Amino acid sequence: MTATLERPDTDEPAEAARHDGGGRFRPTAAGWGGRAAVGVGVLLVALWYCLHFSQGRSDILASGLVIAVGALSLNVLVGYVGQIARGHQAFIGIGAFTAAYVIGQSGQSFYVGLLAGAAVGAVQAIVLGLIALRVRGLYFALVTLSWGVVAENCFFRLKGFTGGGAGATAPRPGGFTTDRAFFVMCAIVLSVVLLVDWRLMSTKAGRAFQAIRESPAVAANYGVNVQLYTLYAFAVAGTYAGVAGALYAARRVTIQSADFSFASIALTYLIVTVVGGLRRRGGIVLFAVLYVLGGQYLPGWVRSMPIGDTLKANAGYLVQALSGLLAILTLIFQPEGLGTFTAPLGRWLKGGRFHLGHGGGGAEGINVRP
Amino acid sequence: MILALSLGRPIVLGLVQGAAFGLVAIGLVLIYKSSRVFNFAAGEFATLGAFGYYLANDHVPLWAAAVVGTLVGVGAGLVTERLVVRPLANRPKVTVLVATAATAITIIALQFLLGATGKTFSVKPLIAGTLPFRVFGVFVSWQQLLIVVVLVLAGGALALFFAFTDLGLATLAASQEPTASRLMGIRINRVAMLTWAVAGGLGGLAGVLLSPTLGNFTPAYGTTDLLTQSFTAAVLGGMTSMPGAFLGGIVLGLVQNMAQFNISPDKVPGAQFAAVLVVLVAVLAIRPTGILGKEA
Repeated sequence: MTATLERPDTDEPAEAARHDGGGRFRPTAAGWGGRAAVGVGVLLVALWYCLHFSQGRSDILASGLVIAVGALSLNVLVGYVGQIARGHQAFIGIGAFTAAYVIGQSGQSFYVGLLAGAAVGAVQAIVLGLIALRVRGLYFALVTLSWGVVAENCFFRLKGFTGGGAGATAPRPGGFTTDRAFFVMCAIVLSVVLLVDWRLMSTKAGRAFQAIRESPAVAANYGVNVQLYTLYAFAVAGTYAGVAGALYAARRVTIQSADFSFASIALTYLIVTVVGGLRRRGGIVLFAVLYVLGGQYLPGWVRSMPIGDTLKANAGYLVQALSGLLAILTLIFQPEGLGTFTAPLGRWLKGGRFHLGHGGGGAEGINVRP
Repeated sequence: MILALSLGRPIVLGLVQGAAFGLVAIGLVLIYKSSRVFNFAAGEFATLGAFGYYLANDHVPLWAAAVVGTLVGVGAGLVTERLVVRPLANRPKVTVLVATAATAITIIALQFLLGATGKTFSVKPLIAGTLPFRVFGVFVSWQQLLIVVVLVLAGGALALFFAFTDLGLATLAASQEPTASRLMGIRINRVAMLTWAVAGGLGGLAGVLLSPTLGNFTPAYGTTDLLTQSFTAAVLGGMTSMPGAFLGGIVLGLVQNMAQFNISPDKVPGAQFAAVLVVLVAVLAIRPTGILGKEA
């Protein structure tokens, strides 16, 4: 856990370099072909899943991708700069209601709504970031918790902004109105967010985030502007969350304040981030999808078993209960999350050697100074 | 002018709810003092206590049902300590925080799984009826008086416990110097179990006593109605001070109810929650050590 401002060797761990005699490993043409084939194969399976079954299946996958974007936003705060955030229903909801307001009430296009959601999400995150500059660690977790509760009970119930109890509507954009097409929209947006996140972490800002996480004092001594980059990280997280909110709104078409509760958004997204693995984009996306697929298939499977009627009737909550348990088990036994298992594959796909072991990228799990 | 319209009810309800916040907050302070952990499952300890009271309501005398509810809270605290917190003892405190949050969502989801969704559960008061006179022009039920009395008794008993008993002193010592305490023969794990059991019991008791004053309760109400407020109360009191948590609970109950009764929900919905956030940020910005905060 040393603070370092050098470029981290995420893609090439030291052992790989040793095998190559110092030179960077490059796959052969056949190697690239194999990697491409795997990528295309995954796409084909997703395509088959969406086209072969009813539209509803695409909608479920789309909801998983929305959770993935939201969890990536949390990952910026908890994973990159090490600020524990407990009020993500505010982040997501503010983006969602802003988008719904711009699209539904002002009659702008979906894309304007998406941008507006991202912008407003960033602004509210920066406001929270200003507090984070003074209050760190556990106490900041309390502030975000309270912020989420206030958003849930105050902002989202303002009639002029959110339509009160009736909710707000955000029609989907032209060409993406069906569930299948909207899934494609979600996939495109998620890809952009992933790409931005990946490149961002390779910039000076990404390395500054890491230094701040390890130790703000050391980072400051190395000339990192701690305040500026903390706010930068909050802006990035708020932007992702605003985007996730806009997608959430358009996927549901109608949203209500009750959709953005502490348990259904803040806790769920935090668990997806933790189980997926902090600083593990692949793990987070994978677990977000697994989470919604679990929500889809587990209840039916459980209902076929000989259990009580009450349990059968409420089997829909099973995935929530299990994911809570899974999060506790992850924290105890596998603090790096699912990402540990997907990291070798991800490295291989990016053109590295295939080797097990989790590699760099700061694998110490949650690391926040109290 | 507006304040004059509604002063009695917020004061009475504020004291009553503040007492419940205070009970949970004392539990939070206990855990923070002994292991530097923020327990985000505290609200659900209260919900479980209320459920224990509700389920036992029809089968045993009411006082026994209250004991059952409190013991459910104790059990929840012990299980959380043993299965979630102790395995994470050497990890960053924030990891434990996330783990207690995961505990909370697991408990909430279990309530839903067992069919509590969308229902409200009405519970009988331990002592029926109201006081024969009004307080600030408001009728006060015996149950409402009881919860305030219990807070005072619990706070006093714990203060005496930590000041004068060997076990209490051992707990304080373990929180300040775990290694040295172990060398002096204090069993750290026992101490942790004790604090979590007491904190769980206080949470359960808060759930048992508060739910009848509300008339009924909904699943997960401890997390929605108690958690943020109790944490803010504990921070207001200094996070390490039990009398502070006690006072913080009362102050926060009053502030919250003043906001709720005097600010129109049509203009500012959920003003009581905004008031809590304002208090929290103000305390952290102006006086992070709280009213009575000092180390240990």
